[in-house]
Amino acid sequence: MSVAQVKRIAISDSPWPWLLPLIALLIVFTVYPFFYNVWLSVHEFMPRTRSLKFVGVDNWVQLWNDARFWGSLGVTFAYFAVALVIELALGMAIALLLDAELPGFGALRAVLSMTLVIPPAIAGMMFLLLQDPQFGVVTYLLNWLGLLDKSTPILATSSTALAGVLLAEIWQWTPFMVLIFLAGLRSLPAEPFEAAMIDGASSFQMFRRLTLPMMSRVIAVAVLLRGIDLFRVFDYVFTMTSGGPGTTTYTLSYYAWQQTFSFLKWGYGATLSLTSLIIVMVLAEVFIRLAKVRW
Amino acid sequence: MATVEYQRIGKSFGSVTIMRDVSFKIDDHQFVVLLGPSGCGKTTLLRMTAGLETVSEGEVLIDGKRVNDVHPRDRNIAMVFQNYALYPTMKVYDNIAFSLEVAKLPAAEIAKRVDRAAEVLNLTAYLDRYPKELSGGQRQRVAMGRAMVREAAVFLFDEPLSNLDAKLRAHMRTEIRQLHNRLKTTTIYVTHDQIEAMTMADRIVVMRAGKVEQIGSPDDVYDRPASKYVADFIGSSAINFLPGTVVAADGGAAVDTATGQVRIDAAVAAQPGQKVVVGLRPTDLVVDANGPLSAKTVLLERLGHDAQLFCRGADGSFVAIVDKAARFPEGSDVRFAIPPSKVHVFDAQTEIRL
Repeated sequence: MSVAQVKRIAISDSPWPWLLPLIALLIVFTVYPFFYNVWLSVHEFMPRTRSLKFVGVDNWVQLWNDARFWGSLGVTFAYFAVALVIELALGMAIALLLDAELPGFGALRAVLSMTLVIPPAIAGMMFLLLQDPQFGVVTYLLNWLGLLDKSTPILATSSTALAGVLLAEIWQWTPFMVLIFLAGLRSLPAEPFEAAMIDGASSFQMFRRLTLPMMSRVIAVAVLLRGIDLFRVFDYVFTMTSGGPGTTTYTLSYYAWQQTFSFLKWGYGATLSLTSLIIVMVLAEVFIRLAKVRW
Repeated sequence: MATVEYQRIGKSFGSVTIMRDVSFKIDDHQFVVLLGPSGCGKTTLLRMTAGLETVSEGEVLIDGKRVNDVHPRDRNIAMVFQNYALYPTMKVYDNIAFSLEVAKLPAAEIAKRVDRAAEVLNLTAYLDRYPKELSGGQRQRVAMGRAMVREAAVFLFDEPLSNLDAKLRAHMRTEIRQLHNRLKTTTIYVTHDQIEAMTMADRIVVMRAGKVEQIGSPDDVYDRPASKYVADFIGSSAINFLPGTVVAADGGAAVDTATGQVRIDAAVAAQPGQKVVVGLRPTDLVVDANGPLSAKTVLLERLGHDAQLFCRGADGSFVAIVDKAARFPEGSDVRFAIPPSKVHVFDAQTEIRL
């Protein structure tokens, strides 16, 4: 293309020259894989012939009758709910605290974002070490506090393994909530709070009747962003427990990964992923409708 | 009901002092307007009264009690903010009821008070709406309703009408004043609009750069401005100022200005030879072929009931309110007279009324 041609495109009114690169990326990395996944879900890989065979709805029937799938769905929901509630509550509490202008809080706000730059798999390895039954700090502290029996390895005990994985999750992602909430708190107008002060409201009343409702849009965004991510949890499970002990930490993503890459059941793995996608989309849609506010 | 008293109030932000030595007292039931340009400290004084701003020096007394360190909620005040400060996530009903709800009044009592306020303010049809679904005037009324139901001892208004259009502003002005006539609650009202001050106030406190310039009734500050600054600030066609020198003139005194000689009242304490500035209100000037002040007409602006005549004299531009029927071709000569009692004389140096 000559310079003149490029110039002509650049100044034309057509949006396509600007949209095409992005559309191309989307097609390669989102649209094509999605349809390939749908296509895969009605096929199955035949290891002996190294080919894909059309199986119709067999994968879906198998899914419906698969106790492991339902179990992993339960684990995923439990993980999702516990992490979301704790991250929201803890995130809000820390954000409210850091919103105060006290010496050192500026630096603290900056430090918070550091957990977010650590790859989750690395964080998982860190917490694997921290919860090591021999020398882990977390294990030691819990023993010392009397909350944990000395002979109990956290990540290898079915009653505590999920909590152990959640610990990494909450440590890494609560700061994400804090940062979003801090930004929200900082953008609240001062006047309604002054009016409420004169109206006689206590700090708690102001928080419950003004801060929380006024933050509802910000909270909704945080729930949506984090919620979608939580549903796909993989890294922590992969690095810390590999789904065990037994199936106590088998999440949907981990199960799908295992079916696809360990057992080479590509079709069934695709079916599991697609199911995960459908659940997330339905949940998100319902949530967006519920979260709509009139004010 | 309560009195409010300021004793030697000072206010600093860091090393910047924005207010010094402000003292005055507001009587029970009074409607006092704090008037001044932006930055004069009037809003700061109001916020100190509300407890939203700390008092750096001096004492604020509400009903004789020092309130410097009293929390806003315990001062028994209600405040209407410039941008209304409504609670965006609450419907009108809850906006008005909020203070009563946090005070844990019985629901029936809350409903009774909110309904009464809504009726007075014409808000009954809007109780189920959110603030963003209301017009500016309606929001303004909700803010007033919120203040009313508290049955507070003092109402504080911070430029409550400045975001409304001219017509609505005039309407709300009379409503607020009527409300005060009915409730008789001590009111402090901050504005930079001298018309609001003139029409609503029992007493006007004119402020300038963190100091009180004059305190008086609207008539006082209009008829007897304590300084050139007050004379300039009050009056809707701005007053004309002419610099000059005091001279003795048959049996009395006069001021020689480049525009002409102006007779001044015998009561004015001016010495011959003193440099002064005379203030002549456009409404006090009378067109008179034998008058002492001469000028050339520039423009006639019709105001409906009368007209505003812009002239150019030897001291610069010059405005007079004249009969709208009169004809003043551009550039023609015109002469004015003014009764000595209407001439305001200020010292040229101190700008204080003589």
